[in-house]
Amino acid sequence: MLEFVQIAIGGLVVGSIYAVIALGFSLVYRVTGAINLSQGGFALVSAMIGYSFAVECGWPLVVAIPAAVAATVLIGAALAAFTFVPALARLSNANVLMLTAGILTMIEGFALVVWGSQPYAMPPFSGEQPIAFGAILVPTQAFWVFGATAACIAALWFLIARTKLGKALRACAENPAAAGLMGIDVPRMTLLAFGLATLIAAIAGVIVAPTTSLQFDTGRLFTISGFVAAAIGGIASFPGAIIGGLFLGLVTQLSTAYISSLFSTAISLLILLIVLIWRPQGLVQAGIARRQDTRDEVKAVGHAARLPANLGWPLAAFALLVAVLIPFVVTDNGIMSGLVIAAILFMTLMGLDVLMGYAGQVSLGQAGFMAIGGYTSGYLSINYDIAPLLSILAGIGVSLACALVLSLVTLRLRGLYLALATLAFGLLIDSCAIGFLDITGGPSGLVGLPSFSIGHFTFASPRAMYYLVLACDVVILVGLFGAMRSGFGRALKAIRSDQMAAAALGINTVRYKLAAFMISVTLASLAGSFYAFFFNFLAPEMVGTSRSLELVAMLIIGGESTLAGGLFGALLLTLLPVIFAPLAIYKTFASGALLVTSFLYLPQGLYGALVQILVRLTGSRGGVTREPRATNNQVRAS
Amino acid sequence: MTAVDMRAREGESAVLSVRGLAKSFGGLKAINDVSFDAAPHQVTAMIGPNGAGKTTVFNLVTNILSKDAGQISFLGRDLAGLSAIGIAELGLIRTFQSARVFPGMTALENVMVGGHRLARHSAASQTLWLWGARDEERRLRRRAEEMLELVGLLPFADTHATELPMGVQKLLEVVRALMAQPKLLCLDEPAAGLNDTETEGLANLLRAIRTLGIPVLIVEHNMGLVMNVADHIVVIDSGNLIAAGTPAEIQKNARVIEAYLGREEGEGHAAT
Repeated sequence: MLEFVQIAIGGLVVGSIYAVIALGFSLVYRVTGAINLSQGGFALVSAMIGYSFAVECGWPLVVAIPAAVAATVLIGAALAAFTFVPALARLSNANVLMLTAGILTMIEGFALVVWGSQPYAMPPFSGEQPIAFGAILVPTQAFWVFGATAACIAALWFLIARTKLGKALRACAENPAAAGLMGIDVPRMTLLAFGLATLIAAIAGVIVAPTTSLQFDTGRLFTISGFVAAAIGGIASFPGAIIGGLFLGLVTQLSTAYISSLFSTAISLLILLIVLIWRPQGLVQAGIARRQDTRDEVKAVGHAARLPANLGWPLAAFALLVAVLIPFVVTDNGIMSGLVIAAILFMTLMGLDVLMGYAGQVSLGQAGFMAIGGYTSGYLSINYDIAPLLSILAGIGVSLACALVLSLVTLRLRGLYLALATLAFGLLIDSCAIGFLDITGGPSGLVGLPSFSIGHFTFASPRAMYYLVLACDVVILVGLFGAMRSGFGRALKAIRSDQMAAAALGINTVRYKLAAFMISVTLASLAGSFYAFFFNFLAPEMVGTSRSLELVAMLIIGGESTLAGGLFGALLLTLLPVIFAPLAIYKTFASGALLVTSFLYLPQGLYGALVQILVRLTGSRGGVTREPRATNNQVRAS
Repeated sequence: MTAVDMRAREGESAVLSVRGLAKSFGGLKAINDVSFDAAPHQVTAMIGPNGAGKTTVFNLVTNILSKDAGQISFLGRDLAGLSAIGIAELGLIRTFQSARVFPGMTALENVMVGGHRLARHSAASQTLWLWGARDEERRLRRRAEEMLELVGLLPFADTHATELPMGVQKLLEVVRALMAQPKLLCLDEPAAGLNDTETEGLANLLRAIRTLGIPVLIVEHNMGLVMNVADHIVVIDSGNLIAAGTPAEIQKNARVIEAYLGREEGEGHAAT
């Protein structure tokens, strides 16, 4: 019993922090309708700055902590003003969510550059000596956490419920358009909400810092926990966020103590998935439902870049020739490996493009299927000596089975909730990859994989692997190109933008969405297996959620719904760190920054930009910004 | 007169037959015992003042809303329990009040989507670039171009649908529905938001559709258009069917005039 109470108190401490971060999610969601995944990043930055001020500069805590919080809020507000606020006007909510994932990556990259990858430990504010209540020991920091949590909740409640500013914020939450007409400066309110959320996260981060070890990517954990808490509790409700946070804290601590620390995340994610099936709005329903426009996705659907037909085939042939000749020019093994990795990831990206670019189904857990494919084929070929080709097929089979189960959840969801469910799935696979020690080798990875071979031919060298993957890529690209330019692709695009109108024309929306999902899963699984065989090794972080987010970044940077666009993103993000090896530390920051920039300024990605340049150079018909060839008045029904 | 008219029309087998349709939202009776038919080769129009329940009837017929009571049969088949997709597969194709062209696709692609339900070749054969599938694709494209030509939109074939003026988008939606070779075409306020020229174009298109022998059920506010193209009109007011007949009959119908213009004490009947 004593032990239980002790653990429960620990759970409440962690839960309070989750609750505060969840509160930030809830605040931004209620005012803007978007999810801000960068929350946890600010918590980390604030904790890190606090550490630097307090320990490295030796400032007293009274000065260091408020200074750290203030600095973080400034950074947050500046970032929001240039990214989040303009993005809200242009992007769909699901895309804003991915944009904030990009901001999170940027913050992580920033932390990596400034503080390096080593862990930091912040000393507790009031000494190490815990306070004893009978036999129960409570660390002093717990009181700081409880106090700060209570203060945040009270202050936020007062602001929202009792002040004029709060009223304006609530008006934006209920109906932004009407709020704008009433003279409320909606962008400013958005910025304010983001700033407030950053403030809350910064306080949470700096207060919780002494109870945990800090690393550049700890922010991701804060975000995920806060996000899961908010989603379980009900994203649109403040009490829901608090209840969700405390609940999640208790569940994770208790399951760590009584089951296994390896599965505590998995358990909380399973709870989340169950909540998403059972009542997607969360346990606590908000008093007011945020108006969800049924055609929310209209904002999202841009015009995909298309090469004019007379340029397409010659260019494709030229690109293929270059790709075939590259290994004769490139002698550096590092670059060659980079090319193989890019080509393998391109496989996943084509599938992801069918799913996201064409069918409009957001997936933030695509690497989860790479993991399933990679681990299945790796495990089978190591332990049962099964031929690589067969083990890849087995991996695809297992992936498809998992995908079918997941689709029970995802087919019912759209936009934001879909992103949430796929993210939860990816995280679940992450924790399984770490947890199932016997199968996956746990955190240290699966070692001793053979190289890929067909019959007696082994693809051992990067060059051999390169040609193998290249051949697969070409076959897949040509096949998908055929499918996407025909009725199948049109049906997906129709579903992406307007499910009801598509159904009214007899398009079976469920079947097509499922088909797109299965295609993407097959390709991800295949790529995951190739990846594992290529490295002769597979570790959880190679195919984890960071990879999922990186894949989305690659796709957006390359250009959505173009099939070929992903290649540009994959090449850029894979080869740049190889070529500029001394600058590799900037890779995380660069990939986040590129994702954010592409979302805001390059909606058609690199591919779209290249097509535009080509069209202009050759002066050929077609391309992306073609003007109508007749004026309004000329269009008269005859 | 209404009853006589109904009986007369029951003789010919109706394409769509609605009997005793009812729907309540909370305590409000939105639709109350509405019965009507859409006859083959005819344009049937449903009119009524704002909020009369016309679009509700439409959504009940296409199962977007579920009805409380009544029976809807299409070509002799009960539509109860069918999904929107199932209804479309039977050949009952509808358009929407607000133009719902597919963004991110060109005008031509939009029209080609309409032909989707008639495609015979699987996605797999399209993936493999099989000859039959590519041939079907070519034929579909040619047919879509012909359709655009018919309404004078061919010059816009490669324009992104959402960049077209609203009137053109609505026309495009009708053409897209036509591509599905409907056995009954249901148009929900196709003339809303159209200027006079565009409305004239729409009227021409509707007459062309009737010439092709495709029955049409149209919900419309624009009286000029309805009187111009409809063969048969049903009038709904406050969820009740108040009249049915030819345009000439409806124009003289006292209850219709009352519903539209309101009753002035004692003079209600003089206003023709």
